[in-house]
Parts: sequence; C-alpha cells; structure tokens
Amino acid sequence: MSERIVAIVRALVFIVIALALCGIIFSIAGYSATQMFEAIIEGAFLRNGALTQSLRWGLPLFITAVGVAISFRAGYFNIGAQGQFYMGAICAAFAAEWLNGLPPLIVIPICFLAGMTGGALWSLWPGILRLRSGADEVITTLMGNFLASLVLIYVTSGPLKDPSGSGQQASSRPLDAAYRISTSYGLSPTIITIALLVFVSMWLLVNRSAFGVLSGLAGRNPTMVTWQGARLMNIGLASFVVSGALAGLAGTIELMGPNGRLASGFLPTHGFTAILIALVANMSITGTAIVAFFFGGLSSAALYLPIIAGLPSSAIEIINAAIALFITAKSGFVDRVLRLGRRGTWTTR
Amino acid sequence: MDDTIIAILRSGTPLIYVTLAGVIAQRAGIWHLGLEGLMIIGACATILVITATGSVAIALSVAILLCVLTSILFWFVVEKLKANQIIAGLGLTGLGLGGTTFAVEAIFGSQAAVSAPFGLPRLGPWFGSFGSLSILVLLMPLFVFGMWLLLRRTRFGLRLAATGEHPFAARSVGVRTDLIRLSALMIGGVLCAIGGAELAAGSLQIFSTNMTAGRGFMAFTAVIFGAGHPIGATFAALFFAIVGALGIRAQLLFGDRVPHDLLLGLPYIATVFGIWLSAKLRGGTRAISNFGELRDS
Repeated sequence: MSERIVAIVRALVFIVIALALCGIIFSIAGYSATQMFEAIIEGAFLRNGALTQSLRWGLPLFITAVGVAISFRAGYFNIGAQGQFYMGAICAAFAAEWLNGLPPLIVIPICFLAGMTGGALWSLWPGILRLRSGADEVITTLMGNFLASLVLIYVTSGPLKDPSGSGQQASSRPLDAAYRISTSYGLSPTIITIALLVFVSMWLLVNRSAFGVLSGLAGRNPTMVTWQGARLMNIGLASFVVSGALAGLAGTIELMGPNGRLASGFLPTHGFTAILIALVANMSITGTAIVAFFFGGLSSAALYLPIIAGLPSSAIEIINAAIALFITAKSGFVDRVLRLGRRGTWTTR
Repeated sequence: MDDTIIAILRSGTPLIYVTLAGVIAQRAGIWHLGLEGLMIIGACATILVITATGSVAIALSVAILLCVLTSILFWFVVEKLKANQIIAGLGLTGLGLGGTTFAVEAIFGSQAAVSAPFGLPRLGPWFGSFGSLSILVLLMPLFVFGMWLLLRRTRFGLRLAATGEHPFAARSVGVRTDLIRLSALMIGGVLCAIGGAELAAGSLQIFSTNMTAGRGFMAFTAVIFGAGHPIGATFAALFFAIVGALGIRAQLLFGDRVPHDLLLGLPYIATVFGIWLSAKLRGGTRAISNFGELRDS
C-alpha cells in the first residue's frame, strides 16, 4: 500500500518539475509563468462551470486512457490511441450517414457498435503484426496514427464532405440533432452513463477476471505465462482489440456528443494525453479515472490560456509533452522492473 | 528521370542525416524516438534565425546549439532519471512539435508558416539540373562514411558498441557509459539539426508547423530496418525516400482515380512494411519496448 503512495507522490513530484520547466520556458519567451498557472487552475477548477468542463474533456480521455492502460499492462506499447480514436469516429460517422432517417434508438447503438469496431480493427492489425511476426508495435501504431489522420482528411474532404462548409477546415455534415447524445456543451447523462459502464466493466475485467490476471502477468513476464499454459497470442490480441475498441468508443462519443460532426484534424492530441493519463495513473483503472479528471482540467484550461495569460493555446501541448518527458522517471515501468524480484502486486489494481 | 532523382535526394537527404543520428543513439543503447522533435527544432530554428539575422552560418549554429541542448536534456532524463526511453522520447517529440508551434504563434500570431528570404547555399549551375539542391546533399555521403568510420574504426566507436550491447561489461573495464551515451546523443543532436535545416531551408525555405510529418519516426524505422549499421540504415532511409517520390509521381499519374490524400500515406505504409520485413528477416525477438525496460541500471 505504501509503495503505491510512493509512486503517486513521485508522479506528482515529476509533474511539478515538468510544470516548473514549462514556467521557465514561458518566462524566457516573455510570458508570465504565474499568470499561466493562474489560468490553468482557474480554467480547470475555479471558474464558474469549469468543473463540468473538466468533466466534459475528462470523460472521453478517461475511456481512451483505460484502453491504453489495458494494453500497457499486457506489455504492449500500443501508442496508436489517436488513430484508433479517429477510426472510431470515422466509422461511426459513416454509419450515421448511411442510416440517416431511421429512428435514433436504432441509429445510435449501431453508430456506437461501428465506432468500437473501427477502433478495434485499427488496433488489430498492429497487434497481429506484433504477435505473429514480432514487428514492433511502437512503430506500427504510430504509423497507424499518421494513416488514420490522412484517412480523416480524405473522408472529410471526399465522401462525407459538407458541401455548405467553409473552405477553412474540411468537415462532414453535422449530425441530425436527434442522433446527438449531448449538446455542444458536451456533458449529458448518456455520456456519464457510458463512462460509468466503462469504468465498472473494465475494473471488473482487470481486477476480477482471468484475463486481467493473465494480461498483467504477461506484461511482466511473458515466458512464465506461456509456461503456465495460457495463450499469449490470445491475451495479446484481446488487449489490442479492447484498447482499440475503447479508443473508438471515445471517438464516437466525441463525434455524436460535443462535436456533432467530423472535422479534419479534430482533437489532435487526444491519444497522446490518454497515454500520459495511463502512465501517471500507473495503469490502474481507478487511478486513471482520477488522473483523467486532472488532465481534462488541463484541456479545458487551454481555452483560458490565451485569455488570462495571453499564451497561445499550443502552450498546453508543451505542458503535456514536458510531463511525458518526466513522468516515467524512476517510476512506473522502471519501478516495475526493479520490483520484479520482490513482488509484483502493483499492477493488480 | 532527373526530376525523380532530384526529388529522391531532396526528400532523402534530411531523412538520412536524422537516420545517422538514430544509428549512433541506437549503437549506444538508446532507442531514440525524440528524433522527430529534434528535427523540427532544427528546421524551425534555421528558418527563424535566417529571417532574423540574414546569416545562414548563424542560423545553423543556433539550430545545432538548440538541438544539442535538447539532447542533453533527453540524456539527463533517460540516463540519470532512468525514465522509459520510449515515453521520454515521445515527450521530447511533443516538446519539439509543441515548442516550435508555440514559437511561431508567439512571434507571428496565428500564422502557420514562415518563409525565409533565402536558404542554404545551392550547388550552383555547375551541376546542371542538380544545381538547385543544397550543398548538404553533396556532403551527405561524407557524413555517412564518417559515421561508418567513427563507429567501426575508432576507439570511441568500440566503446559505443560496448555501451550499447553490454553496458555492464563496458563499465567493468572502466568505460564511462553515461558519458559515452551523452556524446552519442550530442552528436545525434548535431545531425538532427542539420537534417532539420536541410528539410526547411534546403529547397523550400519555408517552415510550417508540424512539417516533419513523421520523418523522425521514419528515420527511427530506417535504423531498425538497417540493423543499426550506418550504411544499411542509409539505404533503408533512401528506400523510404524513393517510395515517397514514387507517391508524388503516382499523384501526377493517377491523381484523378486514386484520392490524393491516400497516396500521401505511401511512406507510412512503406514504414510499416519495413518494420514487418526486418522483423521477419531477423526475428522480432528483441523488441524495442522490452529493451528499454530490461536494460540494467
């Protein structure tokens, strides 16, 4: 127990270091670092409605991050969450386009199914390449991200193009209001219910199922799992598929909820942020929920940075990247290796 | 035909410089996913400083300095703080992409591209139709050969290989593996700066945000594809450049039938193919993701 607290404290320390580094960079660039922190805290938590906005950004991030955590636990660096997220949104948009006119009770579930399938398939091929041929999943999933954003550009400027749209950014036709699961405000009972369902089912999957135990073991010692008679291949493919399906689900939520349409290059840092969340939370499902709320706050604060501190909103990207640079320092994965000899309880939660 | 070769050299040269940086880092036992970030820092610094001072020499020095400093930061995080190489490398890439976007936004407002009045020196009319290429294209084979010499024919290269392959053994004979890794990453920083400069100022003289478009990761794949050998990796990088050039060709030929955006994806598909092929040929036993963790401390 105390070890887990140590890990959390360590993660917090490195987040502070990363933020301090950003503060220094921004001060050199001539902005006020204190104003930046003010903007973040105010935009994330203090302003009127800031908490609900943090939740709005945090819930889809949480869903993607749970998927990332599941695949990282199994020992696969599936960093293609961004591409799977896009593919989910694209498939859901196609489903909505083809079924346009049918009652929402039929269309919405099918869209969700399509989105999750799209994400899962986009995660499956790197999984197969990894497990059958040993092609490293870091590169294949990364390339999958680039390919998916090209497909998104193609889809929004080709098959699903909104003819009435402005030339600025290619986007699809807006969804019919009946098919939306939330307003542009971005938070609705449906989305909260989905997130809760994901939380409960994934918590059970990780902590109370054979898959959870075996995939956690496979991440630490694949050879042993094979000797125990488990099929590494099936565990691996399942973790790829689950993580892809969750990213696709998040993409569907963003499409059918707050965004309401497919725009080329929307939310380009979603996947990367989700990876950070999973790492900060040390791959625990409960931890992911808490950390996602924090990073959701950072995302919603991005809107306030230009207003309060005069910073370009890309400053949030730098903050996230700096956190990524430091977050594994002497924590998470390295600790996993260091602690292997003694005990390996930390991934079970 | 000349056009195609020029296109290959133009897109291949930046890639090869960055690949060499990846080779030396890989030899030192570091899987360098921050190449993309270093490359874009080099590209951005070159164009911004040329615009500000009008001097290519100053621009190149600033780019190199920035990339080396960033490499030292990466080394500190990976070597001293024992961070995971993959995640820290991705963080470095994010820092480069976000930082350059931030710099351009902070200086020029919402503008996404900056163009410089002139770029790197060109080869000149003496080279005929190749004259529009920058001198860095001509220097590239020298760098490849120099890297091969450094890795295979010097004491430093031997220590570097020992550091990468068996750090414990290297330390036991008194090699300072941390300093070897530092120098490898610093040399890599210089090469990434040159690659970035060539990308931005070699032919176009434009910096646009996210202009590296995954080239750093392609270079990383070229390193794996080429088994960490400088010449092998160079040819792997050249292969990616050829696929890219063919993609441009294909756009001209089939542009009306195949969507243009999907042809842009050819280099990425080639990269996936490359990593699959090298796993097939050599067996993907030592996957990079495990390597970073199992490395002894």
